[in-house]
Amino acid sequence: MAYSEKVVDHFNNPRNMGSFKKEEDGVGTGIVGAPECGDVMKLQIKVENETIVDAKFKTFGCGSAIASSSLATEWLKGKTVEEAGRIKNTDIVQELNLPPVKIHCSVLAEDAIKAALADYQKKADPK
Amino acid sequence: MNRRTTGTEDRRELQMARSMCWHCQSEMAGEYFCDRCVKVQPVSKDLDYFTCFGLPRRLAIDPQTLETKFYELSRAFHPDFYQNKSDAEQTISLDNSAMLNTAYRTLRDPIQRAEYLLDLEAGSVKEIRTTPPADLFEEILELQDTLDEFRASDRASHNASTLRTKLQADRATLEQRQQDMEAQLQQLFGRWDALQDRGEATEQTRAERASILKSMRDLLSNRTYVKNIVNDLVETIA
Repeated sequence: MAYSEKVVDHFNNPRNMGSFKKEEDGVGTGIVGAPECGDVMKLQIKVENETIVDAKFKTFGCGSAIASSSLATEWLKGKTVEEAGRIKNTDIVQELNLPPVKIHCSVLAEDAIKAALADYQKKADPK
Repeated sequence: MNRRTTGTEDRRELQMARSMCWHCQSEMAGEYFCDRCVKVQPVSKDLDYFTCFGLPRRLAIDPQTLETKFYELSRAFHPDFYQNKSDAEQTISLDNSAMLNTAYRTLRDPIQRAEYLLDLEAGSVKEIRTTPPADLFEEILELQDTLDEFRASDRASHNASTLRTKLQADRATLEQRQQDMEAQLQQLFGRWDALQDRGEATEQTRAERASILKSMRDLLSNRTYVKNIVNDLVETIA
């Protein structure tokens, strides 16, 4: 099995790698992982006026996991919080041509987006 | 699936593949050997390892009992004793011995035993996604960062030795975590066994069984995760 060109491209030139300070205003952090394969993924969003102005990720895992989170940060930028919540793992699978055995990587990325959004909302509206 | 009610008096230890002797076609009354023609009988492929050793599906197993039974069955099936027998008997002896060895290896180790029980009771451990605690991932993410930095560093430098010290501390923390999880597992094993011993089949016990199995699966998977990371860490700083 070979990785698709898009996966290789994201792997070699990851977009938006890095991190924000978790405590910073408007920053939402999602950290997820999969014990089965040992992958761990951190995805962060920076929100201003309900719009995601910046996104960063850091992933330790296979090429597909790195590509999935890299692609996710690209897609997140410029989206509203509400739009971001609609990103589905199947969109990532399609865009990256992920084979069935790597679908869980895209699920991980979707989970990371959801976790980051939830964290942002919790910080913005603490109850 | 071999779901037998507990308390069956005349329960056979090894369930045979057929109720009829493969050789003389007589009704099987003996356990591993035909009563009439004394030929060895093949062990059923569907037989679960607990039944194989005549044990109930409990998670606390006396290693001595298991070992004794293993030696007893090993002798009964050992290929050495079948060298002068027919091809059919030699094959059965080999198959039975292989099955027995796998069963023994699986049941001897408490973790493998629990994973096997989960397979029997609730499908494959790997099938259902688990949700490990978020703080574990944070810890691991940080650790991976440090590991990366250490790998890239000049081993003789001061920075590398600082990182090594930090990694040693992380290792201790993770090993402690692993031990905590193992202690929690032991507790769950105890609860499972108590439930099995009661042998009730009410709605409530069913729910309790399911909840124990789920917790067990989560813990087992997180434990493996932590264990693998520790191995990786140890390899890196070695």
